Amino acid sequence: MHESVQSSRKRTSMPAAAGIGLRAQHHAEVLSNPPAVAWFEAHSENFFAAGGGPIDQLERIRERYPLSLHGVGLSLGSTDPLDGVHLKNLRRAVSRFEPLLVSEHLSWSSVGGRFANDLLPLPYTEEALQHVSARIRIVQDFLERQILIENVSSYLEFACSNIPEWDFLAAVAAESGCGILLDINNIFVSANNHGFDALEYLSAMPRSRVQELHLAGHTQIVARGRELLIDTHDAPVCPAVWSLYREALGLFGPLPTLIEWDADIPALPVLVGEADRANAIIASVHARAA
Amino acid sequence: MRALRELQFEFMSAVLGGDLERAAGSIIANGVDARRRIAVYIHNAEANFLQSLRLCFPAVQRLVGEEYFRYCVGRYRDRRPSPSGDLQHAGAAFPGYLAELHGEDEFRYLSDVARLEWLYHEAETAAPHGRFDVERLASVPPCQHDRLRLRLSPSARLFAAEFPALDIWAANVGSAGEPELIDLAKGPDRLLLARPTHGQVEFHRLSIAEGAFLQQLQAEAELATAIAAATAKAPEFDAGVTLRRFVAADAIVDFA
Repeated sequence: MHESVQSSRKRTSMPAAAGIGLRAQHHAEVLSNPPAVAWFEAHSENFFAAGGGPIDQLERIRERYPLSLHGVGLSLGSTDPLDGVHLKNLRRAVSRFEPLLVSEHLSWSSVGGRFANDLLPLPYTEEALQHVSARIRIVQDFLERQILIENVSSYLEFACSNIPEWDFLAAVAAESGCGILLDINNIFVSANNHGFDALEYLSAMPRSRVQELHLAGHTQIVARGRELLIDTHDAPVCPAVWSLYREALGLFGPLPTLIEWDADIPALPVLVGEADRANAIIASVHARAA
Repeated sequence: MRALRELQFEFMSAVLGGDLERAAGSIIANGVDARRRIAVYIHNAEANFLQSLRLCFPAVQRLVGEEYFRYCVGRYRDRRPSPSGDLQHAGAAFPGYLAELHGEDEFRYLSDVARLEWLYHEAETAAPHGRFDVERLASVPPCQHDRLRLRLSPSARLFAAEFPALDIWAANVGSAGEPELIDLAKGPDRLLLARPTHGQVEFHRLSIAEGAFLQQLQAEAELATAIAAATAKAPEFDAGVTLRRFVAADAIVDFA
């Protein structure tokens, strides 16, 4: 399924098939024994360096596979000024690797110059909506391309929020012109943690804006008798998330879909197996619709 | 912007400073104590920071053990929170912090090992550079050689330490077995780290004269000045041999 060496950089759109998150421990194996996956997604910040082994390896992987760059550190929702160095590094990575998709998160991670380096939730208010939309526009202008914004898993809601998360995300896309990277696992996790209907979330998404889906595993903890789900990316996709994924494909049609696995990372064939499962669901939903 | 900014400062004080009470008042509990909900973010932020330092300082971690490493990183983070969304810079001041913690005791070598590991990280991620153009050098009249300014590779890092940091590092990375015991009295280390055009970072042990010579090159001094600094340390210093060695290692990569 992977692209030929000649055609990978020539593609102009991401295949509507499953890709996997590229992690350092798999670089050599991907190069020596290229797996049959449609594309790879790499964390942008891991390739901000001026040079070195991982940069060289990703250059070579990019020759063979379509690529998405997925950022975790831009802190789009922060009220601090955007980090110019971070933006320049991102632009350099985009120029170097020519990703077909570039994405970031609907979150913030810094204020007052201090970074938590985690995806912190925004209050869903009109003020936050206008603020984050304006910042996304700045980033898109700087990169001279559209970016996708991903919904995050959250473990709390701010009392001042007065817009449902799904309406907030849709409005951000409309205000900023960004695309949407819909993380199905994150919807499932947040729906459980806050008691909303995941299907209502999916139904509220503007179909033309949704350009990529994410799938991942999560962990359950129990806090004072109440179950909280944590987006740990350290396990296979659970059956309920596969079901929700099927619903999403029914609504949005076949889409590039990423298998994310960032902790306790298994052998490459395990990830390829998860991607195969996603591809089988894409094929079955597509066949049913045809 | 005031409300959002205030909320962010309040929440960051909880995540980085442990000030949960004020932030908890802004959160819907919904069946779970708000402080428990905030604790998920506190844990994630700690874990992400810790993991970034683990990747840069594997030898220090092995030397001090998991528990003390976690403690040191936690205190370091309290003092120097991450200044960037790119965690790859988070460990820059960690060697200095270890020097503050252990600068006067029997663990003084820890900061040297940490400094070596950080320089390795920098060399590993520095910009690539082509090889030295020997033919271009041959076209420069010998009478102008003294005024040449030789350039080190962007990955070149000079290191000097009171303790045998390289031996300690080498004994504590790679193999999972019991590390070899290193005699701290073995003496000081003088090293050059550089990443060849195609390959991994290499360590080069330096004499005092070679160290002085490369320091001058790093400061962009003329060749004559660098040679004078080296011969002041060791009259027998052979500039030709030294140049050939470090050109071959892709440590000297250009001249002007």
